[in-house]
Amino acid sequence: MPGAIRVENVSKLYRRADRRRRGGSLKSALLSRPAEGEGRRDEFVPALTEVSFGVEAGETVGVIGANGSGKSTLLKLLAGIVRPTSGRVSVDGRLAALLELGAGFHPEISGRENVEVAGLLLGLSKKEVASRLPSIVRFAGVEDFLDAPVKTYSSGMAVRLGFAVAAHSDPDVLLVDEVLAVGDEAFAHRCLEKFSEFERSGKTLLFVSHDLPLVAARCRRAIWLERGRIAADAPAAEAVARYRERVAAEEARTRFASPASGGSGPGIGSGRARLEGVRLLDAAGREARRLRSGEPASVELSVEAADALSDFVFGVGIATVAGVAVLGVNTEADGLVPETLSGRGRVVLEIPSMDLAPGVYSLDAAVHAAGGAPYDYRRDVLRFEVTADRRGLGVWSPGRRWRAEGGVRWKT
Amino acid sequence: MLEPIARAARQHVLIAALTRRELAARYRGGALGFLWSLANPLLLLAVYAVVFRYVFTPRAEIRPYALFLFGGVLVWGFVSASLSDASETFRQNGPLLRKTTVAPEVFPSVAVGARLVHLLLALLVLGVATVWASATGSVRPSAAAFAFPLVLLLLVATVFGLALAVSALAVRFADVRDVVGNLLTLAFFATPVLYPANAVPERFRPLLRLNPFAAFFNAVHDSVFFFRAVDPSDWLAMAVAAAASLAVGGALFERWRDTIAEEA
Repeated sequence: MPGAIRVENVSKLYRRADRRRRGGSLKSALLSRPAEGEGRRDEFVPALTEVSFGVEAGETVGVIGANGSGKSTLLKLLAGIVRPTSGRVSVDGRLAALLELGAGFHPEISGRENVEVAGLLLGLSKKEVASRLPSIVRFAGVEDFLDAPVKTYSSGMAVRLGFAVAAHSDPDVLLVDEVLAVGDEAFAHRCLEKFSEFERSGKTLLFVSHDLPLVAARCRRAIWLERGRIAADAPAAEAVARYRERVAAEEARTRFASPASGGSGPGIGSGRARLEGVRLLDAAGREARRLRSGEPASVELSVEAADALSDFVFGVGIATVAGVAVLGVNTEADGLVPETLSGRGRVVLEIPSMDLAPGVYSLDAAVHAAGGAPYDYRRDVLRFEVTADRRGLGVWSPGRRWRAEGGVRWKT
Repeated sequence: MLEPIARAARQHVLIAALTRRELAARYRGGALGFLWSLANPLLLLAVYAVVFRYVFTPRAEIRPYALFLFGGVLVWGFVSASLSDASETFRQNGPLLRKTTVAPEVFPSVAVGARLVHLLLALLVLGVATVWASATGSVRPSAAAFAFPLVLLLLVATVFGLALAVSALAVRFADVRDVVGNLLTLAFFATPVLYPANAVPERFRPLLRLNPFAAFFNAVHDSVFFFRAVDPSDWLAMAVAAAASLAVGGALFERWRDTIAEEA
């Protein structure tokens, strides 16, 4: 069926660029024996490793992942610009690849002539280009400049023209690499409209983007690549969520590498009582940065008060790294009435079952007066990761089971 | 072996468009546009005419020598410029190659195509100059000139095969460009461009036979300067050169084709 894509066990190795040229002179190829010359050994870097997936005709699939994760290589393989080192790639139907807007535009010649070449490059015939020219020009909004050399165009105009040609090339499969990032708002909207039109007419669209909300909103499905492997191939919202968690976890790891137990940073508040330390403890009572969802955990606050206080409240807050509040509790709200706080002490919040969804969370801890005036308020005092075998969206992952009655049955 | 040639043939519309673009880009902005591509051969012809009339005296059998030289130099210019363009084409068209699904065969084809257009324009000048010379009685055109298009066709095929090889090799080996440049300079003097083959001492002539271009330039001079039939041995040599060049060039190109987009 035109529009279907099949990628089977594809790996791609690139020769290292620095080796390429060094070993790459005709003279050395003719003169040196393979054993000599250290530059002769080819070194390869994997760009993609054992990637397999299929796309049905009419699907819109986002491809996400960090820079260097293999997204562009994947599109180039699909476009047939590079060959897989192993594995098979097949694309049914006519394919248009938009890997760089305005790729191949020649600055010295007119927009009209460039459109013709670009159209031919995308597989249109001369007649087709000619008949679509008015609509291409209208879409790009370059009516008045059509016969001016492209070097006189603003970069936005050139980009719009490049997209317009590709969008009018009427492919069964359109591959798009990060194009929306370059245009202005109005252009981005027009592109998105075109994408929708595409979807409605049953065409396949594969697009690489760093715009995660866009991917989550526009794609049914997304493929997350990490270091050349598929880390997730899931409904877009889920793939995006998991990718974000990973990014946050990476950040947390680098950011929280130094303070072993929290509370080292300065807090906000009068300092009449001070949080000496904030520790997160796992089920076994050991300090932990990684918890398993559904197991017990506790938060331990070490406090010291210079003078005896009779007005104090301890509070703990948990939020996702994106800032969504998950938990906010304090001793006052939970009905504990303060009597005295003097010298050193310790307060422990025990949570019998940490039912958070997998992800990275940030913890706030505070000691403050009943009215809210802080003695010591530590925001983002530590970060921790929650892991789970089960996946799911959101922040809550309670123990659960599914029941079914009647004609519904699962495989066991 | 011949797949690259078949692919190039299928892409002829794109090749034509890119060739036109290449030429348009080169002359765009100049007030005289395409006339510039005529100005250079005209100037060359004028210089030859003056130098070989008043400074050097050429042998009697190759007069007017300016016309003899002009035809040879134009055709050699096509060979030389095509191959040196082919050696750079993938580097120059890197973005197009890496970012679009264009077949790589297109680029050496455009390199040769653009130079061929230049040659055809310059041949107009040669044609006019020849008619002029025949009016003054210094050359006597004959039907032998009708062999020229076929000579040119075989030459284009030979150059195209070599261009395929050179372009693919240049991606793989960085020094191909320099090697090609030097070989072309050498070949210019080792080929009967400036002189007729029979001006070469008898004992060196077998050596000249080893040069695949020798037959082409014998044939060029025979058909459009001396206006005599092209020697059958030259026809044979040209046909063999064209076939061998296409076969070897096609095979080399095919072998490296898949990595061109990655490494150019």
